[in-house]
Amino acid sequence: MSTLEERRTLRELTAPLPASNRDHGRVPYAQRWLGVVAANAIPFVATFVLVWLATISLVFVNYFVPFNLVSLVYMLPVVVAATQWGIGPGIVAAVAGAAAADFFFYPPLYSLVVRDPQHVVDLILFLLVALVTSNLAARLKNEALISSRREGEIRELHAFSQGLATCLTGRDLIFAVQDYLSNALGRRAVLLAKAQDDRGPDDDLRVPEEVRREAAKLIAANAPRPSTVVEPRSRRAWLVRVIAPDILGYGAIAVELGDSPGERAGARHIEKLLDEAIVTLKHLKVKEAIEQATINYRTEILRDALVGGVSHELRTPLASILGSCSVLNQMPAIANDRQVQALIEAIHDQAGQLDGEIRDLLDATRISAKGVHPQLMWTDPTDIVSAALKQKERRLASHWITLDIARDVPLVHVDSILVEQALGQLLENAAKYSPIGTEIRIGSRCEQDYVVLSVQDQGCGLTADERGQLGRRSFRGNRNPVGANGSGLGLWIASTFIAANGGSLHAESPGPNLGTTISLRLPMVSADTPELVDALDD
Amino acid sequence: MTKVLVIDDEAQIRRFLRAGFELHGFTVMEAENAAAGLRAATMSTVDLIILDLNLPDLEGSEVLERIRSWSNIPIIVLSIHSDEHEKVRLLRLGADDYVVKPFGISELLARCDAALRRHLRSTNRDPVVRAGPLTIDLVSRAVTLNGKRVQLTRKEYALLHGLAAHVGLVVTHKQLMREIWGNHAGNIQYLRILVRKLRQKIETDPTRPALIISESGVGYRLDQGAAGPVQGQRGVSSDTYCT
Repeated sequence: MSTLEERRTLRELTAPLPASNRDHGRVPYAQRWLGVVAANAIPFVATFVLVWLATISLVFVNYFVPFNLVSLVYMLPVVVAATQWGIGPGIVAAVAGAAAADFFFYPPLYSLVVRDPQHVVDLILFLLVALVTSNLAARLKNEALISSRREGEIRELHAFSQGLATCLTGRDLIFAVQDYLSNALGRRAVLLAKAQDDRGPDDDLRVPEEVRREAAKLIAANAPRPSTVVEPRSRRAWLVRVIAPDILGYGAIAVELGDSPGERAGARHIEKLLDEAIVTLKHLKVKEAIEQATINYRTEILRDALVGGVSHELRTPLASILGSCSVLNQMPAIANDRQVQALIEAIHDQAGQLDGEIRDLLDATRISAKGVHPQLMWTDPTDIVSAALKQKERRLASHWITLDIARDVPLVHVDSILVEQALGQLLENAAKYSPIGTEIRIGSRCEQDYVVLSVQDQGCGLTADERGQLGRRSFRGNRNPVGANGSGLGLWIASTFIAANGGSLHAESPGPNLGTTISLRLPMVSADTPELVDALDD
Repeated sequence: MTKVLVIDDEAQIRRFLRAGFELHGFTVMEAENAAAGLRAATMSTVDLIILDLNLPDLEGSEVLERIRSWSNIPIIVLSIHSDEHEKVRLLRLGADDYVVKPFGISELLARCDAALRRHLRSTNRDPVVRAGPLTIDLVSRAVTLNGKRVQLTRKEYALLHGLAAHVGLVVTHKQLMREIWGNHAGNIQYLRILVRKLRQKIETDPTRPALIISESGVGYRLDQGAAGPVQGQRGVSSDTYCT
């Protein structure tokens, strides 16, 4: 199961998705109304408590110090109520505050009558300022709410687009889109496949058959307007809308609306939100992402089939061809017939070349899919050279091989198999691109922190342009001599293998037809071990 | 006649192996799966087993383990993978040597020859090992190169002894290090340097070794045919190993 799938299942198990999922079908209407009233009354009750608290503290202070700026104190509940609960409680706080000030502090005390015209002006001014303040505070609160909601949306969108990037398969992406829509709409949203038989990730999501049928009908008619379906058993309503194929290529989307008339009335609102969400999907190029993910997935399957199947199905027959050739060559009847022997040699060489090409292809495929993971081990460069020479024995048979390896060349810490294969490739290229009978020189030297192995031939050389392109995947020179065929992958594989060992390949050539020297640089790691002498001494 | 059992599910591979072995005087038995192979190995007297790792009914390594549980008959493993860890594992499980597909019949015959010789040596206790121009007397510890005595240090001799006891067959790094330094030492750098020193004493051109051949990532092999085919080495004649 993919991570996204797991996450989704987990979420469904732990917290049932939005309001629509909750079962309020069995709660009586009266009770529900009571609930609504209670929820709305709390801010007003709290406002009265605030005004009452202000009054108590004023009475207390006034007992010790006569206090004139009473109305100022009553501004506090107004500001708090307006910022916390909105304009309504704010106005209530203003009126209650004015009344309390008049009742408790303006003579005649404990009556709502005001005698002093200055007090009248005071109270009117207080009311005016309180109303304006509560209005401003409420608006501020609103703005803050909107901006925090926007921030949430942006965060959600960001998370969504990041989620898209990490999705590996089309299936993961569909789940990501469903999650995003469910969050944006506040309801459960399900993507429905185009055809019934090509069900996607929605099959396990318990979407009623009626909704599926309606979706299929809408998709077939390519209906521009959404439609609402009510499932008869649970009386739950669903909004079904066709998605244009250029946006998602996925048929339709169904949003669960719930079972109450109030929630169904919200369908308009949901439609609008859905439109917005779909525009977002379009901007995010979700369709392309899903298609790409599907292609990647199929490529991977193909690649695995290639690596697993091809290596066995193609290489086994080649192994019997090569083996049979080796037996044929030893048959007494053939050993004396040079013509037949030459033919067998040709079969052997060609089959060997084919096997090499298949191995190159497999290597290239493996590198692209999984990269190279070298297994480092201390190795004598002499052994690397010997193994590479043995590997290419037949290819090098018609060239003159000269070795110029120092007897004390330092050990290198590399994956010897990879380096051997790379060096083998360099030798093969040298043999391929230089005339028969010429010299191929293999040398070693130390250069700063590198041990350098070089292969020098007297072949067709390289132009400056070719030197620049060397090592690219599938590079082949245009001036190849007759009979020099191949996929051109070899050198790319060689340089990849060397790079994985912390080294590099360098090509030098004095010019066309003046030969080529390819150097293979391997990092030198200090091999001086203090106990070495003891270990080797008797 | 030496009897060889070929366990491989590919008919074409079996066919060329039969031709190759018969050409060199072996008697060949074939088995196309692990079950038939195990049956043949137990029911008849076989001198050598060629075991393919990719069998349809049982892992090749499992077959190897089962045969090893009751017999020390030489087994050469055929593998299409060139995974070094796998090779080392198979050698540890008791394979005498391995050949990676595609291979030529001479390569396989050389391995078989070496494995059969080692098996034979363990019964007739011949103390002298020959590898090209080199002779090693495992009892008197005398080493000669082209008839001349070669002076080796104790560790160099230990290394050569380790290789000579299994001449023609691969010996893993670990096995060699254990034979030279005992159980505690295990530094491949020492082994590489020691091999280099030994090569300087016995190889004609130490930068182009012909006697001590490195098997990348696995171990070393003392090549028995280093100076070209020595009489009686290539192609095991039918009267050499009578059972």
